[in-house]
Amino acid sequence: MKYFVTVNGRAREVELVERLGKLEIAVDGRPMDLSYEEVDSLGQVALIEGGRSWGMSIEGDEHSVTCSIAGRLYAVEIEDERERAAHAAERESTKGGGVVKSNMPGVVVKLLVKEGESVEKGQPLLVLEAMKMQNEIGAPGAGVVKALHVREKEAVSSGAKLVTLVAP
Amino acid sequence: MFRRILIANRGEIALRIIRTCREMGVEPVAIFSDVDRRSLHVRMAHSAVALGGSTPSESYLDAKKVIAAAKASGAEAIHPGYGFLSERSHFARAVVEAGLVWIGPPADAIDAMGDKITSRRNMKQAGVPVVPGLVDPVDDIERALAEAAPIGYPIALKAAAGGGGKGIRIVRSPAEMPAAFRNASAEALNAFGDGRLYMERYLDQPRHIEVQLLFDKHGNGVHFGERECSIQRRHQKLIEEAPSVVVDDALRAKMGEIAVRAGAAVGYQNAGTVEFLYSKGEFYFLEMNTRLQVEHPVTEMVYGVDLVREQLRVAAGEKLGYTQSDVLARKNGWSIEVRINAEDPFNGFVPSTGTIGNLRAPGGPWVRLDAALYRGMEVSLNYDPMLAKLIVWGPDRKAAIERMKRALAELNVGGVRTSAPAALSVLEEAAFVKGDFDTHFLATLDLAAPRGGEDELVAAASAIHRHLLAQRRALATSSSTRAAWLERSRAQRSVYPPHIAGVAPASATSSAQTGASR
Repeated sequence: MKYFVTVNGRAREVELVERLGKLEIAVDGRPMDLSYEEVDSLGQVALIEGGRSWGMSIEGDEHSVTCSIAGRLYAVEIEDERERAAHAAERESTKGGGVVKSNMPGVVVKLLVKEGESVEKGQPLLVLEAMKMQNEIGAPGAGVVKALHVREKEAVSSGAKLVTLVAP
Repeated sequence: MFRRILIANRGEIALRIIRTCREMGVEPVAIFSDVDRRSLHVRMAHSAVALGGSTPSESYLDAKKVIAAAKASGAEAIHPGYGFLSERSHFARAVVEAGLVWIGPPADAIDAMGDKITSRRNMKQAGVPVVPGLVDPVDDIERALAEAAPIGYPIALKAAAGGGGKGIRIVRSPAEMPAAFRNASAEALNAFGDGRLYMERYLDQPRHIEVQLLFDKHGNGVHFGERECSIQRRHQKLIEEAPSVVVDDALRAKMGEIAVRAGAAVGYQNAGTVEFLYSKGEFYFLEMNTRLQVEHPVTEMVYGVDLVREQLRVAAGEKLGYTQSDVLARKNGWSIEVRINAEDPFNGFVPSTGTIGNLRAPGGPWVRLDAALYRGMEVSLNYDPMLAKLIVWGPDRKAAIERMKRALAELNVGGVRTSAPAALSVLEEAAFVKGDFDTHFLATLDLAAPRGGEDELVAAASAIHRHLLAQRRALATSSSTRAAWLERSRAQRSVYPPHIAGVAPASATSSAQTGASR
């Protein structure tokens, strides 16, 4: 099985083959002799590779994983070949789309624009409060407000759609 | 000494105070909100009183409930910790009026120092140097613009009744004033119920240096030297240390003497901290925190003192029993503290929420972890994002830095992202190691840029992780698969309102498919 793994934004290809109950691993074509022992069901892993030993912690689902080794954090995205093709097609179809999403969980304190209103790049669209800090969310580019997906005092999660902009 | 005290707080500081109580043979009483009923501070206390409610205002900020809990539990005194009611003079007064001892400064001293405007006026009178700025608060943009000119840009806008970095904005030119004023004022109004702002000159290359004070009830006061807290982001401290690289014995004596004078001027008692801004050899009074500080452990490590024990002792009426030179003679080595916040360093330090899983605590020589973390703990937006404080001591600064790096490498908090990797990056900066930094230093670093060179190893481990997950899912006729199958069949037979139909059965269907395809 071939996986396309992005580690902190850098792309790697991992080939994983199970032969006689043993996993054979190659990263970017280079075979790796890796011992991977799960310590508990919570994500602690004992790793041994190339004469070195690490206590790693790993958590996440099939697609998105967070690893920690020696105090360093690694954000990892994993795709197989089918998912990679699907994601590429999805990115192509939404190109130029202007959905402004929340990058933090919080509460919408104030909406500063109305539907149909033209906005400049950087113009504040709404005020979002998280951890008692108020943050103005600005327009990523010039456009017209097509839809407001939130109301004032509404709680939003990280990644929630806030405003849809269309090209002017 | 007290037989029993109530701790009007939660989290790591409640646990910190509980620990000292246990060592002194004082029975600690905890209070807790509904969401905190499983918390470590509840489990570690001698007894615990439920306040009900989930938001701070329904629980830890409800003065009446807290005092009633103290009376009901038979506590003789209340320790407020930091945050919550710790700097509310009306609470301090109510505690005393209820016949309890307040483990903190007199209410009048909180009033004299609590409001930044009042405190500056008081400090000017006491001959303590203050930053150029307005003594009176401003409540509209026009006046702010007019008053800004004589002070000179850049200007700092601060909440008149604030703290903890809320309602603070830096204005570099008149053009920036309207937006900054609006936001800061709204934030201040929301957080403290007071939208007035206080304006002052923003100093060049400022370093945040604060002096720890302790006064008994008999007019004796000493300082425990300084802490430096210049490594901050959006005015929230990330790394603190004691002593400071820019403070020598002469400057320590001078700052300490002025800090003690500042405390004495307002009739201070108990522990408190005078914050100074240090800029190019000069220092100015910033504010006084009339409570125990988050970063008090670095002072404890360097001076070999338990500040909470001292707080209890002086609150119970005991004399300090030592002089300033006794304190300074105990000064030994260097201590560093790193705050571990539930924030995503890769995503602009936005709050990170989740359930703590995978937890590995650092240990070993001269490493101290002040936390109230446990597996299964929910990290929500209800409370402060600080999960833990990691503190180390070393014979000198270099040793302390190396020890902190070692301890951070051992630490692992799973379930949420934390600021710990960013702290590790700061400790590796040459400028930090040299001690060459100011309060803007953290903003100049690209902490979002991930560091660590084990990409290939991580890629391989991640692929194995996914492989094992898939394998487990294929092998197990898991209860979740069964539940999903049942759910789906119910969904097909039932009519749900659209908002439910859109959520529950859809997710059940997708997991059923995942199970079936392997």
